[in-house]
Amino acid sequence: MSQLALAAVLALAILAASTISVELGISVALIELTLGVFIGNAFDVSVPEWLSFIGSFAGVVLVFLAGAEVDVPQFRREWKASLWIGSASFVAPFFVVMAFAYWGLGWSGEAAQIAGIALSTTSLAVVYAVLVETGLNQTTIGKRIMSATFVTDFGTAAALSILFIEPNVWILAFAGASIGLIVGLPRLAPWFFGRFGNRVIEPEIKLVFAALFVLMWLGDKAESHAVLPAFVLGLALSSHYAAHRLEQERLRVVAFAFLTPFFFLKGGMNVSVGALWANLGILALLFGAKMIPKLAAVYPLARRYCAPHAGFTTLLMSTGLTFGTISSLFGLQAGIIDETQFSLLVSVVVLSAIVPTVIAQRFFQPSAEEEARRDRLTPATPAYEREGA
Amino acid sequence: MPFEKILAAVDGSDASNRAFGKALELARLTGARVTALAVEGPLPAYAATIGEVDEVKREKDAYFGGLLAETRHRAEAAGVELDVDLRPGHPAELISRVAAEVGADLIVLGHRGHFLRDHLLGSTADRVVEHADCPVMIVR
Repeated sequence: MSQLALAAVLALAILAASTISVELGISVALIELTLGVFIGNAFDVSVPEWLSFIGSFAGVVLVFLAGAEVDVPQFRREWKASLWIGSASFVAPFFVVMAFAYWGLGWSGEAAQIAGIALSTTSLAVVYAVLVETGLNQTTIGKRIMSATFVTDFGTAAALSILFIEPNVWILAFAGASIGLIVGLPRLAPWFFGRFGNRVIEPEIKLVFAALFVLMWLGDKAESHAVLPAFVLGLALSSHYAAHRLEQERLRVVAFAFLTPFFFLKGGMNVSVGALWANLGILALLFGAKMIPKLAAVYPLARRYCAPHAGFTTLLMSTGLTFGTISSLFGLQAGIIDETQFSLLVSVVVLSAIVPTVIAQRFFQPSAEEEARRDRLTPATPAYEREGA
Repeated sequence: MPFEKILAAVDGSDASNRAFGKALELARLTGARVTALAVEGPLPAYAATIGEVDEVKREKDAYFGGLLAETRHRAEAAGVELDVDLRPGHPAELISRVAAEVGADLIVLGHRGHFLRDHLLGSTADRVVEHADCPVMIVR
């Protein structure tokens, strides 16, 4: 298939995914991923260089957007509970999956690390959708879960950027540019956006994209990954975007219209249905290796900080999608994992977006009205703090 | 008096508009009070980005805000007392639950909404008939 023919097929797939998403109420990303699997396997096409490049950039943009969507004041209010739950949610599955992949499945050390990172994530967006849909995003428990999700995501971004570093002189430039952008851009933004913003030529989006490309380039030279600085840069700009929603909206439009579809299509096209079919048992074991430590580590903390909805909290913290896909794609692109390992990891990630969400909504969903009532009756200082814990 | 509280499910589809008209007619005849329930429907399931969720939520808020304003206008013109209720969630489940909450003695709704999933997965009306504790009137 020629490059233009493939581009046409992908453009039609992107269009189809959008319309199916609206009609069925399912995330466009999941449909793009599925269509990518279909195109990659039915037409037997490999991912071309241009798609791989756009997809990689889109992954970094997604991470930046995730950082920019963090509600920092809310995190400050809920930091103690969120730090415990979010850290446990990352650390437990990371080590268990890594150990299982290394000793149980015989994967290389680095491949096992990628498995650990990809399967320790929690999906901010999946959690957010469930909370908004039920009105729980306005309650203490909802805010606490969102903040905890941010901590888990931070763990993923940090692990992906730090674990695979092979130190060379470029690491200094990478670290310097990261710090410079993270400190400098939030200070520059009010002036720059005020002077050049609100134009169809969108200098403010170009500024963000330029910063992300610089981070990607230096990260690549330093044998690292731009995920962590991109996430923290988004976080540093989150207050600015909270005050200027229209700017964030434009950035989302550009990202969702052109960039992120290629990221998810690329992810899907790299999945081998044949390899999955031949390894269904391993798929189930990896799913268990993600879910069991997540549930075991988060549940006791959720009982302490999110009672009486520990089950609901634990299940939401077990979801995953975007960061898991980003981690798996990084591993594949860096040659750390092969196509079969990638197919297994992405499938577990997708399963973890669906299975815990369905169970949480079906069997554990709290009533938003009751939670709001409970919030009004609860003293401002939570019990675990009053007890001096 | 046969009916005192009627719950009418509204979603802006032709069938739902006709159903709401019938609910107003019935209310005028019986002096019943009508609650118009609009269910925003689920947000994109298994979303990959918060932006996707936010956008759909904003669209739904704007759409249903307009719909409920129109609903109020129609009830006022018909001289019927009306309460409106807008909730997020799954339509069939919420219609049955809100009917129980407001003590409705009749649910009125259209036979089919305007989403493809109604055609693929069976209509909301079918599921409400299955779960409701009071009579259900389905308008074609």
